[in-house]
Amino acid sequence: MSEFAVRNHIREFRQSRAELTQAALAEACGVTRQTIIALEAGKYAPSLELAFKLARALGRNLEEVFQYEEKN
Amino acid sequence: MTRVQRLSLALLAMAALGAAGMFLGPDGWFGLDIGPIGSAVLYGAVWLFVIHQAKFAGEVFPEHWSPAEKQSWVALVFMALITLHMVNMLLALPGLGADADQVRNPATRALWLNLGLLIFGWIVIGTQLRKQDGAGIQVDERDLRIQHRAGRVADGTMALFIVWIIVALFALPEQSRTWLRPLIVANALIALLIARTLIENIYTVWRYRRERA
Repeated sequence: MSEFAVRNHIREFRQSRAELTQAALAEACGVTRQTIIALEAGKYAPSLELAFKLARALGRNLEEVFQYEEKN
Repeated sequence: MTRVQRLSLALLAMAALGAAGMFLGPDGWFGLDIGPIGSAVLYGAVWLFVIHQAKFAGEVFPEHWSPAEKQSWVALVFMALITLHMVNMLLALPGLGADADQVRNPATRALWLNLGLLIFGWIVIGTQLRKQDGAGIQVDERDLRIQHRAGRVADGTMALFIVWIIVALFALPEQSRTWLRPLIVANALIALLIARTLIENIYTVWRYRRERA
């Protein structure tokens, strides 16, 4: 059976918006900065609610920020 | 590691040494009773840590730790100390003879005093940490998920341990069960609940560490 993982482009989209620091994104989404760090490092898969909040804060669609991909 | 963090670790090591001395107690070291010295070293280290934490606000724990992770570490240290006191008391109870059947006996009196001091220290450090982290988010969904998983691991471990105790009690010969008096069993059950929380704390800090690695 194939294994799937949630991958994200939070770091790329955040860095494309110069003023958006990890702390600012964390505050906008109601999480700690350490959770943003874990998300960017791919160590944590967010809840659906947090995923929507992140996409909204980054000004992107959910599917642009998150992909559900088969693990290598 | 900064100088402040090295000093914090030294204080924790001092507390561990004091706890070991307290645990060994009478005849622990070349026949000497090092229990009171161990206890003094332990509480000295704990209070120095409280002062150190107040003085160097925000520098004791690594900057990349979340508020909930810091609180988990504090909880782990204090729960370990509370468990140690509980085990120490349980080991002392059978030696008290008839006194062990009294709700108020020297061993439980000492335990409650120590627990009171430890819980007070825990509250002080916890409050200081919350103040240092300001009005920001203290606990988020990742912390709750880790805590929930830790709770399940602790419950599972406890269930296995209880089954093992039941089997062990049945396997024990009748004459070896004389120490199983109501008050000792009651205290052992309290110790079991404390141990469950300790397991939860151990898993929580391990999980935070693993997610960072």
